[in-house]
Amino acid sequence: MSRVVVCTWGTSGGAEELLTLGRGVANGLGAELAWAVVGPMAEDLTAIAGRYGVAVVDRLTDSKLVSFAGDVAVEALAQYARQHELRLLLVPQTFEARTTAPRLAARIDAGVVMNGIAVGAESGEIAVTASAFGGDTRVVYVLSGASRYVVGVSTSALTAEAAPAPTTPAVRDVALDLGAIAERVQIVARSEAAGPRIEEADIIVAGGRGLGAKENYRLIHELAEALGGMAAASRPIVDEGWAEPARQVGLTGKITRPALYIAAGISGASQHMVGCAAAKTLVAINRDPDAAIFRYARYGIVGDCLEILPALVRAVKG
Amino acid sequence: MALRIVVCAKEVLDPDAVNNYALEGKLVIGDDGKSLTQSSIPRLMNAYDEQAIEAALRVREAGVVCTITVVSVGDPGEILKHAASLGVDEPVAIQADTTRLDHHGVAHLLAAFVRSRGGADLVLCGRQASDDDQGVVPALLGEHLGMPVVTIARSVEVAAAGEGFSVRVVRVTPDGDETVAVGAPAIVTISNELGQARYPTMAGRMAARKKKITSVTAGDLGVAAAALAPRVSLVKQFVPTVKGSCEVLTGATPAEAAAVLIARLRAESVLR
Repeated sequence: MSRVVVCTWGTSGGAEELLTLGRGVANGLGAELAWAVVGPMAEDLTAIAGRYGVAVVDRLTDSKLVSFAGDVAVEALAQYARQHELRLLLVPQTFEARTTAPRLAARIDAGVVMNGIAVGAESGEIAVTASAFGGDTRVVYVLSGASRYVVGVSTSALTAEAAPAPTTPAVRDVALDLGAIAERVQIVARSEAAGPRIEEADIIVAGGRGLGAKENYRLIHELAEALGGMAAASRPIVDEGWAEPARQVGLTGKITRPALYIAAGISGASQHMVGCAAAKTLVAINRDPDAAIFRYARYGIVGDCLEILPALVRAVKG
Repeated sequence: MALRIVVCAKEVLDPDAVNNYALEGKLVIGDDGKSLTQSSIPRLMNAYDEQAIEAALRVREAGVVCTITVVSVGDPGEILKHAASLGVDEPVAIQADTTRLDHHGVAHLLAAFVRSRGGADLVLCGRQASDDDQGVVPALLGEHLGMPVVTIARSVEVAAAGEGFSVRVVRVTPDGDETVAVGAPAIVTISNELGQARYPTMAGRMAARKKKITSVTAGDLGVAAAALAPRVSLVKQFVPTVKGSCEVLTGATPAEAAAVLIARLRAESVLR
């Protein structure tokens, strides 16, 4: 039986959302849903797998897979893929997967699509809807011409839904031979991630060009602090050096999904919205009433963010 | 021995123009249901690829003796002239009908080109193309050429190491900067954090007029048509709709508007 495989690092990175998506595709293709888990294994792995209708859990463990390393990960997945009649391998589009997924595809002679936001199967054919032009358009790719495919999916906009009938998955350890694999790229130095990450923040206040000048970015920090949230930024002001790269939200920055996202002086270019569209409540503050950001926002204030931001700080504290 | 740098470049529709049309709700999809056909949208070099050329020029300026070849698949006359005006040694067009190629095919052609030149020490690519945002070609190329791939670089430095070269790259990761070392040959993808790419000088533009663009075909590179058969076909493109249910909160003063917003967020338990 051909297989749709959801592949995750441990149980992180939107595994449950992707298993939900994978189940639909497997049903559409009449294929078996397998979950390949690489690296750290969660204790409740089998329970999660059963809830989402997984037929087989394949565990890829090795002393070389304790922490992520690109060359080892690609080779491990290639060995795994060759052991099965794999039709489609779905990966959550993490930073590492951006490179690992296409490398794996080339190694197992598969086709590859990244930036997927929806995957469907009809009449035996797989179609992937992906984001393009920085989110300005969507494209639909049909996968035909290769016997197997690797598809990267942005899981931030997906929802997890348990299977109507839970399964009792078989759990197997995949035989791997990684003895000969040595990483070709050596990490020399790493800047320590300072404090919490905006990807995990519940409240985010983000600033853009509307702030007018670098020194005004402190207003973003002040409101973020008053709300117990984190400060973020659009790419233009990161490029200008007003805010650190780690705070950049959007296509080439962080993908966030906070409960509250306040965008101040941000026009709402698609490239930015990719990183905050999943916020539960989005508030826009912009001088231009026609700014695109208002189309995405739940609440808007039309005005100068240099006046509104301090007023919000006072309103929160008052 | 000179360091052989190959930069891969792609011609794209100006993403800013596309974005402006999209924001105004005026982006038009052509009759084929998949192409952006507005002739007013300029075609230009993918900005990340321009930054890859910039990275190559900075390696040269750091004192590394090198040759810089810029290669593009399709009929990329204008962007290769631009590359020539920046002072690269050889602009190369791989003639192909790009409407019939997917990333798999493009990677095959680029790999065959690098092999046809007896290899390269450093292949630089933009982190992704701003049209499809796929970013898969550098990784595919790395596998085809057996080279390690280092992605999302903000800086690239090359030093002589024994008979060859070693490359030091600062990568931009979600956890902050990461400095890595890799032996050449290697592929590095360049991100916008590298900084502004330079503009051609007048002298550069003059010199570029005399520079010939090398043209090769898949046949010249020994690539069979079957190896270029697409595996992924674009069948449709559309502009996503945004629901747009914004409630504009007003007040006589910023303080009033701010108070209304905070009260509303508290009432909905978004804020405590």
